[in-house]
Amino acid sequence: MSFEIKEIIESAGTNLPNLFDFSSFGVLWKEGLLLYIYQDKSCPPSFTQDVVKNMVRVFSILGEEPADADKLTLQVEKRNFRPQQMVMDSKATLKSHLTLPLAVEGEIIGCTSLNSDQPNAFDAQDLQFFSVIGYQMASTLKHFQRFSSVKSMAIYDTLTSLYNRRLFEERLGIETQKSFYGGTPLSLVMVDIDHFKKVNDTFGHLEGDKVLCKIASLLKDSVRKKDTVARYGGEEFVLILPGAGLEESAMIAERIRRLVENTPMQIIGQAQINLTVSLGISNFPIHRPNSKEELVKMADQALYEAKEEGRNRVCIFHPEHG
Amino acid sequence: MAALVKENKIGKWPSDLVLDLYTNLLMEIWEDVSALIGEAILELLFTLAIRKLREKYPFLISLKVSEDGISLNGMREELRNIPPIEIHRGFQGLINHLSHLFSALAEGVINKELFPKVFPKFREAERIVSQK
Repeated sequence: MSFEIKEIIESAGTNLPNLFDFSSFGVLWKEGLLLYIYQDKSCPPSFTQDVVKNMVRVFSILGEEPADADKLTLQVEKRNFRPQQMVMDSKATLKSHLTLPLAVEGEIIGCTSLNSDQPNAFDAQDLQFFSVIGYQMASTLKHFQRFSSVKSMAIYDTLTSLYNRRLFEERLGIETQKSFYGGTPLSLVMVDIDHFKKVNDTFGHLEGDKVLCKIASLLKDSVRKKDTVARYGGEEFVLILPGAGLEESAMIAERIRRLVENTPMQIIGQAQINLTVSLGISNFPIHRPNSKEELVKMADQALYEAKEEGRNRVCIFHPEHG
Repeated sequence: MAALVKENKIGKWPSDLVLDLYTNLLMEIWEDVSALIGEAILELLFTLAIRKLREKYPFLISLKVSEDGISLNGMREELRNIPPIEIHRGFQGLINHLSHLFSALAEGVINKELFPKVFPKFREAERIVSQK
């Protein structure tokens, strides 16, 4: 769940105790399979379980595919919003609720509920008021859902889910600035799948796409948390390794090369195939690039050498070969 | 009752009488419930209820629902080819399913308001369809 969406739900949870007398407030968010429950500190687990079951039940009744409580991520926030004398019994169960679909333009995006351990805790006026709040919450959530998806399209490659080239350029700009002015090392690794055209020509583009996704996931698993992995274009990927000297980046690159070489790719209707990658490395300050463009050019030159020397290898930029 | 028979004598179709009765009842339900949960959610619930019953009572598909309300215009001709008892059962099923949805969402809060209005109308509809 994005930060903004969590904020919206939390803000509603904080303000609702001023308007209603309830024990817990829940939001089931279909897209993220998330059930967020905001409840009084004294709510016992039995009550929370009842609320979860009830929200899932209502969501199913609303015609959505049967919701599976086990698949939901449950997030419970506990706050002190009931007076001391109204602390709940340790065996309290759900006695009444108001549950409303969160719907925008005819689409159900989740549901929200007010729950109480008291019977008949809510009346028509509460329902009227809660439906207005639910309507506003649904519109706001939908707005942020759209915003998040546009934001995601702007930075991620839709096929591999790696960062896209645009994000790479932006991130490289920031990292080179930091390194050039701070004097910290920065390495760039260009990765290219060997003979990828053959995969496409032999098995078709769908299988080619699967290979790209598999290699993207291997790359992602091979780097450190602070590194950036992006799809540079076609079958070419790029890694930004902040703080990595030549030795460390060569180690990471070699690890990737070996991992790809030893990971069989499943091709539909065929035996598995093994692919290889070629990698080129450039580094600041060792190679003395004057700009981010130059750093890219150097890594690209090293990659070219790896290809020329027979593929399936790691080459470090050498100024004399440039 | 006398009025109904008289109208029948002057040629009002029994299906028209059932439709009129349910038109008024559904309008009333729309008025009351939309004031509680809003038009958008109510439209959604009507759509769900119609979807649930459309195979058994295909004529319900002609019931048009939008945030502006419900419209039964255009159903009259179609319903004249359907036995009045089927029309009654279809609308009764629709209202029962709506009540089930209201109860799932808000327990008795909505139905408490509706039941006193709905049951007398069901009885009245039964009287109309049982007349030969």
